[in-house]
Amino acid sequence: MGLGLLALRASRTSLLGRSSSAISRPGFESGNPNFNLVRWIISTPELQKPEAATASEPAAPPPPPPRTPVGGARVHIEKPEDAIEVFVDGYPVKVPKGMTVLQACELAGVDIPRFCYHNRLSIAGNCRMCLVEVEKSPKPVASCAMPALPGMKIKTDTPIAKKAREGVMEFLLMNHPLDCPICDQGGECDLQDQSMAFGSDRGRFTEMKRSVVDKNLGPLVKTVMTRCIQCTRCVRFATEVAGVEDLGMLGRGSGEEIGTYVEKLMSSELSGNVIDICPVGALTSKPFAFKARNWELKGTESIDVTDAVGSNIRIDSRGPEVMRITPRLNEDINEEWISDKTRFCYDGLKRQRLNDPMIRGPDGRFKSVSWRDALAVVAEAAHQVTPEEIVGIAGKLSDAESMMVLKDLLNKMGSNNVWCEGNGMNPQADLRSGYLMNSSISGLEKADVFLLVGTQPRVEAPMVNARICKTIRATKAKVGYIGPPAEFNYDHQHLGSGPQTLQEIAEGRHPFCSALLSAKNPAIIVGAGLFERKDKDAIFSTIESIAKQAKAVRSDWNGLNVLLLNAAQAAALDLGLVPESENALETAKFVYLMGADDVDLEKLPSDAFVVYQGHHGDKGVYRSNVILPSSAFSEKEGTYENTEGCTQQTLPAVPTVGDARDDWKILRALSEVSGLRLNYTTLGGVRTRISTVAPNLVHMDEREPASFSATLAKPETQQKMSKEDFGVAVENFYMTDAITRASKIMAQCSASLLKK
Amino acid sequence: MAFTMRAVKVPPNSSSLEEARKRTFDFFRSACRSIPSVMEIYNLYDVTTAAQLRSSIASQIRQNASITNPKVIDMLLFKGMEELNNIVEHAKQRHHIIGQYVVGNEGLVQDVGTKDLRASDFLKKFYSTNYF
Repeated sequence: MGLGLLALRASRTSLLGRSSSAISRPGFESGNPNFNLVRWIISTPELQKPEAATASEPAAPPPPPPRTPVGGARVHIEKPEDAIEVFVDGYPVKVPKGMTVLQACELAGVDIPRFCYHNRLSIAGNCRMCLVEVEKSPKPVASCAMPALPGMKIKTDTPIAKKAREGVMEFLLMNHPLDCPICDQGGECDLQDQSMAFGSDRGRFTEMKRSVVDKNLGPLVKTVMTRCIQCTRCVRFATEVAGVEDLGMLGRGSGEEIGTYVEKLMSSELSGNVIDICPVGALTSKPFAFKARNWELKGTESIDVTDAVGSNIRIDSRGPEVMRITPRLNEDINEEWISDKTRFCYDGLKRQRLNDPMIRGPDGRFKSVSWRDALAVVAEAAHQVTPEEIVGIAGKLSDAESMMVLKDLLNKMGSNNVWCEGNGMNPQADLRSGYLMNSSISGLEKADVFLLVGTQPRVEAPMVNARICKTIRATKAKVGYIGPPAEFNYDHQHLGSGPQTLQEIAEGRHPFCSALLSAKNPAIIVGAGLFERKDKDAIFSTIESIAKQAKAVRSDWNGLNVLLLNAAQAAALDLGLVPESENALETAKFVYLMGADDVDLEKLPSDAFVVYQGHHGDKGVYRSNVILPSSAFSEKEGTYENTEGCTQQTLPAVPTVGDARDDWKILRALSEVSGLRLNYTTLGGVRTRISTVAPNLVHMDEREPASFSATLAKPETQQKMSKEDFGVAVENFYMTDAITRASKIMAQCSASLLKK
Repeated sequence: MAFTMRAVKVPPNSSSLEEARKRTFDFFRSACRSIPSVMEIYNLYDVTTAAQLRSSIASQIRQNASITNPKVIDMLLFKGMEELNNIVEHAKQRHHIIGQYVVGNEGLVQDVGTKDLRASDFLKKFYSTNYF
């Protein structure tokens, strides 16, 4: 209860007497000259004397029927004796010990308003919005910070609780600007919603509002710090999830501000998530500023393809344009966060797009042609070479369907030189455990020692890195890293930079061995950058011997993991996209690039005919003879398998650009034009074909773990490890593929955020 | 003449399918009789012939050949009569006639080539759109 309210009540009693009718009809009281001093602020008269209202309540009404938990929340109580019973609005609910009052209320189906509380962050308890009444407690309690006790009688809908919320709302709105019409959070703002639901309909604030200088947090997050309500969610997110101590609270009282301590940008690859967790419009998306309102947008549930994690995203579009990308909840993969690359790469979908089939004329310039002519030229060129000279390369953003059709088409032409970029020229595709993250992304939380070999998860897969960071914060797990010097946002030991260190660990000569051997659940994570090395087999057999010594592969725990780099890699290996000969590219005469931009085309003979099928005019286009435009991941339905072996699919959010076609349709049409008709004509037909090769790729949203472990009878390798140090797989986190390289925002990020 | 036709009341419904059939033939005959004046009004001599217009009318009537409900046939006949009146009254313009009865549904771009003849259904659809 605010002091002002107390004073008000005191003055009202003295001025107007104790008549309760006077409170509702002040004007009709006697001609007291002082009654103008009384200002009414409370909209609901019965809230004025909550205590009295409670006391005068008739005998307790029968308990309401059970309600369903908020958001379908479920709780698993391991030991029945750990359960306690509390009463929420008269209805009994069983919760495990240690739960807070707020969580108990959620289980009982009551949504408590809150600003500072977030279930993935630590508890701050500073917004006071979640006040509820607890029987026998003298004051309302902050439910987010109060543990539920046995037999507690919680009341969430009483006049006291309502008045408390109304009071908190009034204080929060005191210094909050009234700029909702120009605020980007408008329509999805917690403060807006809750002030409508719980706030008073009038204010009594007449002074000046405070204002705060905006902070520059970089090219992604726009700040309007006057709107900040000091919930400190962003500060807690930065320290606890992103693992960077960039944001903090400065000053006290009304001078309190969120900021970076010195003039500095926010140096995290997860910084975009503060936009989602900010309950008001203080932190909003800079590229999305003033572009659209959230009620104009159409949401499409899709999958991110910029790395191998396959984060669940929602693509918000308006008409033919992708307006923004926001995360979707998936506890097993990305929880509710996504990386900045995922969130802000969408402007790359609008630039540098290929929209017409093109043929390079004799003068070296591209000329737009019809699909009929372009396919005829490609089919003609394919017929003029021998089957061994045909090569097909799938790009890092390819979906499983198009890779299947590419392989089928090339096999029909008589060639088996088809592979996916990033998998190296000699990939191991026989055992799925050899290229998957076997302990699963969420399973990494059980690990107590991490050994990172040639991988920098912070740039290769930020969501996996966030999971490792979470584990380390929770259990103080140890991390050893072998590779070139790299940035980490948690404590780690840099053991060495190359295969020599690996050898030392395998032979038990390294001090880190003791930690590895004493670990209960050791997790070894190998970077997919090693796939490109010549001595790959030797490195992997050394790692396997380390895993054997550390007992990392058991029936109940498989800690030998490969962290892939690209969205297409896992599905390509599942479908058996393995080149027949290691130097196929040097002798190729007909090369089919399906969105492959990072292949080294220098080795290619100069008279080779190159077909580029893709959605962006990127590196691959410079060498190509024919361009076939295809659709990007936001425009097609495609299956992707992530690094842990979970199959997910993208859905079309926007129409295709220009005269582009889906990847698999182009290949299917080409097969017919070249006289090698493939016998499926629908997406369902392609999926049936996939199910005969890799059945796991048609089981959507399911993780299919590897059935055999890698240690199972594998031929001994004769290779020797070279002395060459491990390289860096991802040079620039923000620009890794055709879409992100075309993005202006990603270019700004790499200019301002990457350390020179 | 046309204005007097409009003043005529809607005739009573056909009592049977035979009567509806007879009325359809009557309608076709009256349409055929007005073709020479239509050719004159809209100056169609250099784009089409009377025989082509006749077959165009006949094909539009044949589109509804499967209908057996006399009430529906009466309704379609009424609509056809309205259309005919509008044409004869010069309530339309030349391009309306050309677009609906001379060029037809195929549009101006007609692929008369033989190259797609052996192409499959998939390939034909592929050449026209991504969405099928």
